[in-house]
Amino acid sequence: METDLGSQQALQTRWWLWAPGREAHFRSVSDAIPSSLSLVKPNGELEIANRHHLDYLGATLEELKGRAAADAVHPDDLPAFVDAWREAIAAGEPYNVESRRRRADGVYRWFHTYGFPLRDEQGRVVYWYLMERDIDDRIRAEALLAGEKRLLEMVARGRPLTHVLEALCLFVESTTPDCCCSVLLVDPSGAHLQFGAAPSLPPSLIEAVISLPVTPESGACATAVSLNQQVIASDIVSETRWVSSGWNSVALHHGMRACWSTPISSQHGKVLGSFAILYRQPGTPTPLHQTLIERFTNIASIAIERARGDAALKRSEAFLAEAQRLSSTGSFSWRLATDEIMWSDEAYRIYGIDPGTPVTFDLIRTRVHPDNLPILQQVIDRFRREAGELDYETRLLLPDGSIKHLHVVAHGARNQDGEMEVIGTLHDVTQRHVSDEACGRLRSELAHMARATTLGALTASIAHEVNQPLAGIITNASTCLRMLAADPPNIDGASETARRTIRDGRRAADVITRLRAIFGKKEPITEPVDLNEATREVIALTESELNRNCVLLRTQLAEDLPLATGDRVQLQQVILNLLLNASDAMSTVRDRPRQLVISSKRDDADQVCLSVEDTGVGVDPERVDQLFEAFYTTKSAGMGMGLSISRSIIESHHGRLWATPNDGPGATFAFSIPRGPEHVTGAERRTAASAPAVTDAEHVVGSL
Amino acid sequence: MVNRSLVAVVDDDESVRESLPDLLREFGFAVEAFSSAEDFLASEVVGRTKCLILDVKMPGMSGPALQQELLRRRWTIPIVFITAHADEGIRPHVLEAGAVDCLFKPFSETALLGAVTTALRAS
Repeated sequence: METDLGSQQALQTRWWLWAPGREAHFRSVSDAIPSSLSLVKPNGELEIANRHHLDYLGATLEELKGRAAADAVHPDDLPAFVDAWREAIAAGEPYNVESRRRRADGVYRWFHTYGFPLRDEQGRVVYWYLMERDIDDRIRAEALLAGEKRLLEMVARGRPLTHVLEALCLFVESTTPDCCCSVLLVDPSGAHLQFGAAPSLPPSLIEAVISLPVTPESGACATAVSLNQQVIASDIVSETRWVSSGWNSVALHHGMRACWSTPISSQHGKVLGSFAILYRQPGTPTPLHQTLIERFTNIASIAIERARGDAALKRSEAFLAEAQRLSSTGSFSWRLATDEIMWSDEAYRIYGIDPGTPVTFDLIRTRVHPDNLPILQQVIDRFRREAGELDYETRLLLPDGSIKHLHVVAHGARNQDGEMEVIGTLHDVTQRHVSDEACGRLRSELAHMARATTLGALTASIAHEVNQPLAGIITNASTCLRMLAADPPNIDGASETARRTIRDGRRAADVITRLRAIFGKKEPITEPVDLNEATREVIALTESELNRNCVLLRTQLAEDLPLATGDRVQLQQVILNLLLNASDAMSTVRDRPRQLVISSKRDDADQVCLSVEDTGVGVDPERVDQLFEAFYTTKSAGMGMGLSISRSIIESHHGRLWATPNDGPGATFAFSIPRGPEHVTGAERRTAASAPAVTDAEHVVGSL
Repeated sequence: MVNRSLVAVVDDDESVRESLPDLLREFGFAVEAFSSAEDFLASEVVGRTKCLILDVKMPGMSGPALQQELLRRRWTIPIVFITAHADEGIRPHVLEAGAVDCLFKPFSETALLGAVTTALRAS
């Protein structure tokens, strides 16, 4: 053989380690290798093995030769081991296989086997070299990692805490033979332990443990929790710490001899529970045990914290839902880029749509009152154009025909991802609206009654004042005629009664003069008037009326508006009249937004000018002047006095009131009056009073 | 005129107290005028009055109050109310209490004569 080897360089490199008769050489080299090395004949018979191999198996070469090669392979791994060997024999190619091998002390460890053939000069396989490397630590580490990964996955997927903890115990038990694991949790009061998981322990043992208070007298777990440190009871028989509470006898009764309990702490150091490993034999934890304990208490901590966080989140979500339900307030978000709309449950309820239904603007449009649709579009367009706040009221028309009033507050801004997002609340104000409307109706009825009563009282008083002298006149005239008709005529009596007739006639005329004095024209009170402020007061008065009419009101009040001179109340009557006219003019408008713009400015003639622009039915250019005549009206319910009175008020202020048709739909009514003598503006006056100066506010009345 | 029945006029308005008695005298009645219900009640005329022309609204005792007072004293004097208030509400009220008529100022002499004639027939 040696000669053959020497002549074949290629073979020589493979044969150098061993050849028959060179055992000593084999040993001197191979015993220095910290791996198993053996030489096996193709029939599986062992030829020679190194020291490491023999030591691991705890046998001499001779003893091993009497055994089958696969004798020490773990039964579970045997089929794969044998298959790999057979395939290698058949193919004559090197092979790799991993299997557990029983050590001399009976412990199985993982080995990686690399086998390669040795051939003779004819190329026949004469031996197989088997190099076997201990990979037990790597396999365990991998298994541990896989187990941890699986547990963390369960946590991440939000599996119930008991499932996660049970899987954790089972996993530790599978990696560490003969042990039983338990996880106990500290209850919210902190005074007791709760069941977490103990898949392999008898329930009666756990029940006995959790019935005890959390004190250092109540057993290993209670001690670990209350002292926040690991407790090792290596032999419960000789343990004295928990005799008084009866824990020792309970544990021993259930066959437990060793118990190692470790506190599970939160990220912030709060003790959440305990993780215990129990053995039926006395013992202390090995470094491997400690590693396992450290890693799995950490995972348990993550699982418990996550579960508590979830529970807290669910609780706060439930609180929010309850608060939303109680206050009839829903919330929504709308991502502009994708038109993705999210609703809270209460928002679904308000819209009368099943929770979970995907929300789209088309869906919303099926619920918005047709009169409010144009303004919905306006709101959408506005947010697509710019961020900001909107606060408006709108109505829904539900399939059952009922109407809901919503108060919407929406805020558009960029979210964390830089996307434009509108978030807001929907407040169902139907109830408030119903009572507001009832109040409004009552108010207008009262106003009407008051007016009617005043007018009636006035009529009665005028009638009385006039009827008295009239009665005198007629009676005197009758008497006079009779006296003249008498035979002979009573001229003196007739003269007397005629004189009285004239006197009563004068008396009647005096009554009319007095009425004139009361109701006739008077010079208005003259004072500096901030027209912006006066306008805001009128807007405040008319807000509910405009609301009812779904009018979008925009104010453009010039900040530098000079003060006017005049009678504030009279000017407010004019503004009120123009506002209500504009609102009335839009009451039949369905196909476009009912928009009302009130603007104030200083005009070219340095006068103070206020205009009210609507999108209503408009005015006939031919008849613009007639509008201001008394009793001229285009309204079925109107008296036709408003604009006539308004014009006379403005004229008494030495100003001008006029109307112009808009380029688009609607009309603009405007007046201008001279500015006051002082060069001071309302804004300056307000600033002095430190009130906020609003210039371009937007009120959307009706929409979404 | 043979018919000289006494008609009393009670009205706080001076022009009525001046003009109405003259017209009634032209009709041939005897007339006494009073500016208040209290004056009338206090006078000796009450017992002789065949017809009372009574203003509804007066300072002090009103016309209807005087009507009630007369009823209380069981003096059945036929009453013709006159009023310058065009308040229809008062009319059924006083008629129900026994008044002959209720005239609204200004009334025609025909209406006045008719009412007084009816009153005298009732007395």
